[in-house]
Amino acid sequence: MGGHGPTGLADVIDTILDRGLVIDAYVRVSLVGIEILTIDTRVVIASVDTYLRFAEAANRLDMAKSEKGLPEVISEAKGVPSQDKTKEVIQGVVEAAGDTLQELTGKKSDPAAEASMEEEPEVSVERTSGPPRRKIRPKREEE
Amino acid sequence: MGRSTKVSGASVPKQATRQRQNLGSYVYGIVPAGTKVPADVQGLGDPAGKVKLIEHEDIAALVSDVNVDQPLGRPGDFLAHEGLLDAMADKGPVLPFRFGGVLASTEAVVEELLAPHHDDFKSALDQLQGYAEFVVKGRYAEQTVLAEILAESPEAQGLREAIRGKPEDATRNERIRLGEIITASVEAKRAMDTQMLLDGLTGHYMQASLRDPTHEWDAVHVALLSERDDQKGLEKAMKEFGERWTGRVDLRLLGPMAPYDFVLAQG
Repeated sequence: MGGHGPTGLADVIDTILDRGLVIDAYVRVSLVGIEILTIDTRVVIASVDTYLRFAEAANRLDMAKSEKGLPEVISEAKGVPSQDKTKEVIQGVVEAAGDTLQELTGKKSDPAAEASMEEEPEVSVERTSGPPRRKIRPKREEE
Repeated sequence: MGRSTKVSGASVPKQATRQRQNLGSYVYGIVPAGTKVPADVQGLGDPAGKVKLIEHEDIAALVSDVNVDQPLGRPGDFLAHEGLLDAMADKGPVLPFRFGGVLASTEAVVEELLAPHHDDFKSALDQLQGYAEFVVKGRYAEQTVLAEILAESPEAQGLREAIRGKPEDATRNERIRLGEIITASVEAKRAMDTQMLLDGLTGHYMQASLRDPTHEWDAVHVALLSERDDQKGLEKAMKEFGERWTGRVDLRLLGPMAPYDFVLAQG
């Protein structure tokens, strides 16, 4: 079973850069232009590159590992899971919710999140003289 | 309303009375007047501003002072913005603003934001009473879903056999076609699984808002407006999906959060 994707900062950025009420819609006169460090986030667009990557993943897919053949793989995936796996998933879900809560309400900044932020390839500085512009799209690949 | 005397703070010459800081009022969101701000929360900026409530009749704005000469957008700033709003959403209704809204002064917050829009904000807060947002994120297990797709598509299976053991250059067209099939299949599965999840969670949300995928293996990305008191019920229903999708979809439930996906800007 795959691990959890990064929680925290990526989820937060997904949410607060592109959602919520836009203050510019309510206030015009005393809006202050402030420099916002934006993250150039990548939109998920399938390209030839994606296709080739997917094809290679399919090529490498180890069907022999469970040489019961494909139908088995499928029924395993869709069918009743084993006891242990179920437990793992339940805990996963609960922990994830707990983590987020704690993360978001507790610490102001956590080192792991800062670190993952630094991996972001492109951080650009936008000087805005009027109201903060937001052509930033929060859609991004998280891995 | 239309006072034109105030100019964008950033372009105003620094006031001699202020030390060297040029302060603005960063606005996080709107809450009912009388709401308690937890003592331990900090605002954004460096140094972190103290979060305060600016009240006007029945509503109040959550603000903190911020130095407008310093850029915003460090990880701590993002986390502080959402952290405060989500902490408030855990207790009562809140209208979240998007990241980055700064007004020239606390007076401007009252005169230009709270007073002119008092009734709209108040009725939105009333409607959100008792509700909070939750976000469901699901990620496909690549191996499992690839195997599913190959099993379901004879064409994909044929292409896979055609490229086996052959150099990439010699099978480029087959690879592209195979990749296209996989992409289209993932999209179809995403739509189907999202619908299945929404059907399965019926009764645990009042509204749902689909979010765009943020990753090519995203299975589900949807925001739900749910009763805060039903958090346990929602978690339980999610667990059932987690069980059903074990090894296939990795599910996460985020929240309670402020209703970012359910507030609509006017105009």
